[in-house]
Amino acid sequence: MLATAPLGAEPQPMTAEPILEMRSIDKRFPGVHALDDVSMDVLPGEVHALVGENGAGKSTLMKILAGVYMPDGGEIVYKGQPYAPHTPGDARDAGIVTIYQELNLVPEMSVAENMYMGMELHRGPFLDGRTMHRRSRELLATRLHLDIDPGTSVGKLGVGQQQMVEVAKALLHEADIIIMDEPTASLSLREIADLFTIVRELKSHGVSTIFISHHLDETFELSDRTTVLRDGQLVSTQPTAELTTPSLIQLMVGRDLADHDPKKPVEIGDEILRVEGLTRHGVFEDVSFSARAGEIVGLAGLVGAGRTEVVRGIFGADPLDRGNVYIRDEEVSIKSPRDAIDHGIALLTEDRKSQGLVLLFDVRENITLPVLDRLTRTQLTDTAREREIAAGFIDRLAIKASSQEQQAMNLSGGTQQKVVLSKWLAAEARVIIFDEPTRGIDVGAKAEIYEIMNELAAQGDTIVMVSSELPEVMAMSDRILVMAGGRIRGELSRTEATQERIMHYATASDGNEYAAGDPVHD
Amino acid sequence: MTEAPTAKGRANALVRSVISGAGPALVLIAMAVGLWIMSPAFRSPTSLMLIGLEAAALGLVAAGQTFVILTGGIDLSVEAMVSFSGVIAAILIAGTNVSGGQIAGGFPSWIAIPIALGLGLLIGAGQGVLVTAFRMNPLIVTLGVRSILLGFALVLSRGSGIYIKKDDLLGFITGRFEVFGVNIPIPLVITIVIYIICWIVLKKTKFGRYVYAIGGNETAARLSGVRTHLVKLSIYGISGFLAAMAGILVMGRLESGAYQNGTNLTLMSVAAVVIGGTALTGGIGGIWGTLIGVFMIRLVDAGLVYMSFPSQAKEIMIGAIIVLAVLIDTARRGQIPWLTLRLRGGDSGD
Repeated sequence: MLATAPLGAEPQPMTAEPILEMRSIDKRFPGVHALDDVSMDVLPGEVHALVGENGAGKSTLMKILAGVYMPDGGEIVYKGQPYAPHTPGDARDAGIVTIYQELNLVPEMSVAENMYMGMELHRGPFLDGRTMHRRSRELLATRLHLDIDPGTSVGKLGVGQQQMVEVAKALLHEADIIIMDEPTASLSLREIADLFTIVRELKSHGVSTIFISHHLDETFELSDRTTVLRDGQLVSTQPTAELTTPSLIQLMVGRDLADHDPKKPVEIGDEILRVEGLTRHGVFEDVSFSARAGEIVGLAGLVGAGRTEVVRGIFGADPLDRGNVYIRDEEVSIKSPRDAIDHGIALLTEDRKSQGLVLLFDVRENITLPVLDRLTRTQLTDTAREREIAAGFIDRLAIKASSQEQQAMNLSGGTQQKVVLSKWLAAEARVIIFDEPTRGIDVGAKAEIYEIMNELAAQGDTIVMVSSELPEVMAMSDRILVMAGGRIRGELSRTEATQERIMHYATASDGNEYAAGDPVHD
Repeated sequence: MTEAPTAKGRANALVRSVISGAGPALVLIAMAVGLWIMSPAFRSPTSLMLIGLEAAALGLVAAGQTFVILTGGIDLSVEAMVSFSGVIAAILIAGTNVSGGQIAGGFPSWIAIPIALGLGLLIGAGQGVLVTAFRMNPLIVTLGVRSILLGFALVLSRGSGIYIKKDDLLGFITGRFEVFGVNIPIPLVITIVIYIICWIVLKKTKFGRYVYAIGGNETAARLSGVRTHLVKLSIYGISGFLAAMAGILVMGRLESGAYQNGTNLTLMSVAAVVIGGTALTGGIGGIWGTLIGVFMIRLVDAGLVYMSFPSQAKEIMIGAIIVLAVLIDTARRGQIPWLTLRLRGGDSGD
């Protein structure tokens, strides 16, 4: 089994000899056995999907490959040689490059400067900008079929193109293995398609890709083999063609998740929230809609359509230039999140870690943060009351925390989302806005979040849900509003909604780059 | 992290404990014992009382600084505030800004002191407005205000100290009392009382919770309905107020309001806060650690004197302490990989 191919051999397309073998990798963190005897191999030119729930150990395993962590046990053989990177630089020099969800680019610098960062070309003591520029353009054009001016500053590119720059940078480092950690999380559908084309292109050149994604359909579309991790242990590695969605989910969660319609029908009551003419110049224009008790209104659209900005405006997180918000037909003035909370509106932000939680706070402190003022009349805090409230929600939402005093930073994504939700339920919000409620959340926790949304709707709460995942929008919404270019372009009832119709509105805006060429069939 | 009790393991454990929680208190005790043994002069009641007096002023300034740093900010204006409030109070008490002998022709101190404290509160809060409503960088705002306040202190006092005669109130708050033959300075008692109040505010009140929430994640705090601007503005007000209070104590003790009264207190206060375990990034720490930091700095300061170092060496000491304090802060947060002192839980992967 030892790969003894001599170094510098011609790239061989798809041989049986793995280019990389990780054997019995073991890694512990204080209190967590993150990886327990995990083995995995990668073939040259293979797309290898790595899947598992949050906390399964995927990222830890990849960070060991990338030289971020040192393993506590096990060995890695790469191109027939023992491989033990001490720093990310070691890994990159060896030809293993990681592209993280948060891209490592300097927005103010040009594409070429970013690509050559750390390995700039010189002519004498001076930077050889011209050659770097020319080679960047060649590489982008020949390998990635991209016509980007290498002089453009990276900040002016879309997220998808920025990711391509990262890929180009990896190619410049002559990467043999590219690790992509949730590369599609913030990409539009078109950008995802482009990325997949590139991955296939890399494959044809013998470059291997390790691909981490929560989207199982992407796994099926792209990968040759799939490795499943669960609770830090290897479950299986097998050809993706032998798997089905249900069988893969079962491997990931270790139990059957019935694949039924997650939405439960509820009686829809009176109008609770109405917004009229919401405008923030240059961001969104003249947005009007309403939502009723028990109703789940989906806000669909492509990344950058202005959905997040609209709900932030309603919540008072960003100022509005114009427009009115009505609660139960009464106009309310919302100038800050505090005002919105006092009027029973809550916002679960798309990024829980940076906006939803105080990670240094424990579960209890996070849950009671918006309601401290209501708990006591004095300036003092009432810890006993806080404990009672936190205990209630930990029980009600089945929050998996070791105790109320567990720090939020040590919780999984799904559990963090439940803590954020508890916070708003504690604040007695009746209009709950979810922005990408299941982003970065694994399959099991996703079902739980949907279940909670059902319960809220059943008790007459109003839900507005921003989501970029079409299956989610269609499964959970009673009504779908589609935004593009800062405006609402269409409204579809639950029965009318199809992926094609939603995409039709989502791409049909004036001067939208996605408009041309997208299939629009009813 | 289970290590066999080898010599190296024990040494690591010691280093770790020094840098984390209980460490600073142990170091403080060790320093005091060391000085006690090595320097007879240190043992004298007078010297202990002087250290207590010096610790009081630094303690008040550092208490305010703790609040500011807990929210992730910094207040570089404090030493100027100490000088400024002292000069203001001295002029009010003297009734003139022409320095001469010890004068008390103006207001009684029960009027002068509240005015000086009120100005401290207002100017501090004003800095808070610039930091919050105008979104200015606290480092620059407080550095600028520092210069403005020092300038005013210099101009108002015409470059020399305003000497005053203490009245009963000022005499009392800068005085001492005797318990079992030990002189206890009243300023130290005032400072301890303030620390107890600060502890209650930080740990037992909503305001305190908001301070930690802002330091931990200001965006999340704001989106949870915390009036972050109001809290931060208050924080700078508190810092200004406590620095002004320190200014009164220093002025009263020296019987002189002069622009040098606050010299070095900014750096020392930041050092005390950081040595005491409060993270410069905010959100982690507490008030008692700061008090330990304050005494540690005062002991080092006194130690230099009693070990017969030249007084000029003081500047070196302060500089070394602040750099060391920041090094400890960085190590504590696990940001120096080769030190690999995994002091806090560590991330669990995914």
